[in-house]
Amino acid sequence: MTISFGDRDPAGALKAADPACGDPGYWSRFHASVADRAAVELAVRRRRARESVQAILSAWSRPLIPLAVAAAVAAALLAVEDARRRGRPEPAVAMEPPALALEDVLDAGVGDGSLRAVLAGELHATQAAFMTVVEGNP
Amino acid sequence: MKKLSDAELVALARSGDGDAFGELVRRYQRPAYSVALAITGNHHDAEDVAQESFIVALERLDECRNPDRFAGWLLSAVRNRARNVVRREKVRLAGPIPLDARTNAPDPARAAELAALRSKLEEALETLTEVQREIVLLHDLEGWKHAEIGEKLSIPAGTVRSHLHFARKALRAQLAAWRENGDDR
Repeated sequence: MTISFGDRDPAGALKAADPACGDPGYWSRFHASVADRAAVELAVRRRRARESVQAILSAWSRPLIPLAVAAAVAAALLAVEDARRRGRPEPAVAMEPPALALEDVLDAGVGDGSLRAVLAGELHATQAAFMTVVEGNP
Repeated sequence: MKKLSDAELVALARSGDGDAFGELVRRYQRPAYSVALAITGNHHDAEDVAQESFIVALERLDECRNPDRFAGWLLSAVRNRARNVVRREKVRLAGPIPLDARTNAPDPARAAELAALRSKLEEALETLTEVQREIVLLHDLEGWKHAEIGEKLSIPAGTVRSHLHFARKALRAQLAAWRENGDDR
């Protein structure tokens, strides 16, 4: 590469200011020199980063361990209670007979007196029982 | 590493990743040198300032509040350090690259020619203002675009263009004067 002040463009002449001009390995050595000098600081930073991770874990573990134990105990109690409930037979629930719907009564073609009794809520049995009462069927 | 952003590299370097720091140095060693050269006006001080700035930047990496703008932060540190060197007229803040390594050009005559050329170039650059030198070196030597220089130096792109125009004009005049005086090589 030839550089001279005969270059019309100052950019051409400025190439002479590049230390790599005539010394192609200059920037590699520059980089190596900086990296070499930075090695100690980088090592300090790596150690600090490791220590800070450990410190964070350690700081978290102190309140976290009793909390985790308490949570585990609570979960175990709940699980036992749940299992106990599942093992016990379901209590029998007294079933109310379904209320007779007005539509059912009308469909059955009952008489006025019976209808009044139904509407007054005096009859709560099933449709079959109702019909037994109304029709007088046994 | 080459694909990572500056912010990602800074984050890694903060935790001591040597490859990440090495990539940051690779990206900005030339601009850092150019800014230092623009202020100190000579190769040796510029080299020292640029190298030392990288080491100090690493030590103070936690103070870089906006890692996306690492380059601007670094170049600002380079500028301040270079100004201090000029102000105090102190030299050798860092261990320089060994002289034999620096001057291992294959041809001694060529090395001498380059040295003379650099000396005259440094004189020509001296006629510019500090910001003009920074801009012309970053643009013409490092190949940075106007917008990039503006962003890194926190200067509007239009101002960069203006500084570059006047810097080139002044340099061209200097170079023409030398050529007319028969100093051209």
